[in-house]
Amino acid sequence: MIKLTDVEKVYRTSTIETMALSKVNIVINKGEFVSIMGPSGCGKSTLLNIMGLLDEPSSGKIEIDNTLISGYADKRLAHMRNQKLGFIFQSYHLINDLSVVDNVEIPLLYRKGVSGSERRKKALEALEKVGLNSRTKHYPNQLSGGQRQRVAIARAIVGNPEIILADEPTGNLDSVMGEEIMNIMLQLNKTEGTTIVMVTHDENMANKTERVIRFFDGRQVN
Amino acid sequence: MLKNYIKLAFKVMLRKKYFTFLTLVGISFTIMIITITAAFIDQIVGASDTEPNRGRTLVLKEVFLMKDDRGRPDEVSLPFLQRYITTLRTPERISIYRDGGYVSARNGVPRAHRLKYSDENFWSITNFKFLEGRPFDARQVKNASRVVVISEELKDYYFGEGNAAGKIIELFGIPFRVIGVVKSAPLLSDAGSDAWIPYTADPAPVPPPAEWPTIHGQYKAMLLARSGEDAEKVKAEIDARMRKIVPPNPQFTSVKANALTALQHFAKVRNSDPDPDFAQLFTALFACLFLFLLIPVISLINLNISRISERAAEIGVRKSFGASSSTLAGQFIVENIILTLTGGLIGVILAYLFSDALILMLNAFDPLFQISFGQFILSWRVVAFCIGCCCFFGFLSGVYPAYRMSKMHPVNALKGNNL
Ligand SMILES: Nc1ncnc2c1ncn2[C@@H]1O[C@H](COP(=O)(O)OP(=O)(O)O)[C@@H](O)[C@H]1O
Ligand SMILES: [Mg+2]
Repeated sequence: MIKLTDVEKVYRTSTIETMALSKVNIVINKGEFVSIMGPSGCGKSTLLNIMGLLDEPSSGKIEIDNTLISGYADKRLAHMRNQKLGFIFQSYHLINDLSVVDNVEIPLLYRKGVSGSERRKKALEALEKVGLNSRTKHYPNQLSGGQRQRVAIARAIVGNPEIILADEPTGNLDSVMGEEIMNIMLQLNKTEGTTIVMVTHDENMANKTERVIRFFDGRQVN
Repeated sequence: MLKNYIKLAFKVMLRKKYFTFLTLVGISFTIMIITITAAFIDQIVGASDTEPNRGRTLVLKEVFLMKDDRGRPDEVSLPFLQRYITTLRTPERISIYRDGGYVSARNGVPRAHRLKYSDENFWSITNFKFLEGRPFDARQVKNASRVVVISEELKDYYFGEGNAAGKIIELFGIPFRVIGVVKSAPLLSDAGSDAWIPYTADPAPVPPPAEWPTIHGQYKAMLLARSGEDAEKVKAEIDARMRKIVPPNPQFTSVKANALTALQHFAKVRNSDPDPDFAQLFTALFACLFLFLLIPVISLINLNISRISERAAEIGVRKSFGASSSTLAGQFIVENIILTLTGGLIGVILAYLFSDALILMLNAFDPLFQISFGQFILSWRVVAFCIGCCCFFGFLSGVYPAYRMSKMHPVNALKGNNL
C-alpha cells in the first residue's frame, strides 16, 4: 500500500540543518493498522506528512499502490490526496466558519461529479458512523474535544479513502475520550479494511494495533 | 463548483461579520459615488427612452468667428440656422429650438419652469412618450399657434390628477392651450423641459444682439444623421457651407460651426476650442475612476493579506483533502468578488436613495426651481457599468492575496506559519 525506500528529510534554515529523517525504509501493507511511536521531535510528523504527500522527502522514493510518486505537479498530488488519503490531526483542524456537516463535506467538494445532495448524504452517513448525527448543524467551537475529533474522523472517512493517516489523534484528549476515538478507528480498520497509520505517544493505544514502528532521532529503531 | 464557492463565500461573510462590515462600508460608499457620477454623465450623454437616437443626433449650438486659428464661440441666431443649417441635405431630419424659462405664481408663491421653443421636427427626432394629446405639427408652427406641450410634473403642478389636454395655462400673461402631456426626460438631458411651445409663438422674443445680429442669437439645431457613420458626412457638409460664408467684418478670416453629439459636447474640455479633443476628458475621467477605486482596493488587499494567517489552517486543511493551489486561488477570488459585488449592490441602492436626498437638498436650496424625483433616472447602463467596476475591483483585490494564500505549503499552513 505504502512503501518508503531510503527516505531522508533535511530541514535547512539559514543557520542550521536538521536531519528529521534518515534512511527510512517502511512498508505498510493493505488493511494494516500500524502505530508509530517515539519521543517528541524524532520525526514522526515529518514521516506522516511525507506518506500523506503533504511534504516531499529530500531524497528517497515513495510508492503508493505500487505507483512511484515523483515529480508530480501540484494538481496531481492534490488529486492523489483526495482519492486515496484521509488525515486526522492532533488539533482537529476543523474550519470554524463552517458547520459540522459542511466541514465533513470538504473532501467531496474537490471531487468531480458529486452533487450537493450526494455530498450531504455521504457526510451525514460518515457522521453517523462516528456517532455524531445529532450535532450536524453545530459549529466546531460548540463541541467538546472528543466530539471535534469525531467530526475530523468523519471528514477523513467521508470519501472512502484506502489510507488514513492520524497524527496523535488522541493527544489532546483525556483517556476516556481517547479510548472512544481509538475504538472508532479500530472498528473502521476491522469492518472497512481501511489501512491506518497512527502516530501516538500512548503505549496502551499502540498495543491495540497490529504493529508498532519505533523511531529515535529520525531513525527507525526496531 | 461555482455554486459551492458562492455558498461558501456567503457563509464566510456571515461568520466574519466585522471584516465583512468593514469591507462593505468601504466598497458601497465608493460604488455609490461612482454610480451617482456615472448617472449624471449618462443623463448628459447617453441615449434614453426619450432620446433613443442620441448616437446619431448632432447638436449645433455655437458658431465661431475666426481670426486665423482662433475664435470665440457664441450662440447662434435663428436666421443663421434657417439660412445655412435647415437647408442641409445630408441629415435625415433637422430641428431648431432654444431654451428659456418662465415664472408662474400660485397662491403668491413664485415657481420657475423650463420652457423650450421648438419646431415640429423636434418631436420626431426625440421620442417623448405622450400620456395625453399629441405634439404640435408643422401647421401649428407655421401659424404660430398658441399651444403648449407640458411635462407630467407641470401637469400635476397646474391641474393635479385630472386631464390637462384642452386646458389653458398662461405664459408671460398670454394664454396657451395644452395639447399634450409627456413623460419627463432625464434631468440633465438636452431635450428635457417642463413646457414646449412652437418657436414661432414666442410671446417674449429676445431682441437680437447688437453685434453680428445675423450670426449670434439664442438658437440651436438638432441634426439627425441617417446613421452613426453618416454623422461625419453631415459635419463635412456643414464645414463646406461655412467655408462659403464671407465673414461679416474683414477683421475675421472665416466662420466655423461644430455639430457634435451629446457625448462630444460633454467630452470637449474647453468650450472655446474650435477643434476640440474628445479623448482627454475621458482619459482623465477613467484615471480618476481608477485612482478612486485604488484606495478601497489597496485597503481590501491589506485586509485580505492580514487574514492569510488567520485562514492558514483552513488552507492547510483544504490542501490536505485535495484542493489544488489553483482551485484554492479560484475559491478566494470568487469569495472576494462576491463580497465586493454585495458591496456594489448596496452602493447602487445607496446611490438611488442618495439621489433623492440630493434632489431634496437642491430643492431646499432653490425653492423657485423644483426638481422632481422621477427625473433622476438610473439607467441599466449605469447599473451594469457599476457592477462591472465591482467585479473588476473584486478581482483586483483578490488576485494577489489569493495567490499568496494558495502558494502556502500545506504543512506550514497547518502549523499556522504563514511562510
Ligand atoms: N519546517 C521545519 N523547519 C525546520 N525544522 C523542522 C521543521 N519541521 C520539523 N522540523 C524539525 O524536524 C524534527 C522532526 O520534527 P517532527 O517530525 O515534527 O517531530 P515529531 O512529530 O516526532 O515530534 C524536529 O527536530 C523539528 O524541530
Ligand atoms: Mg509531531
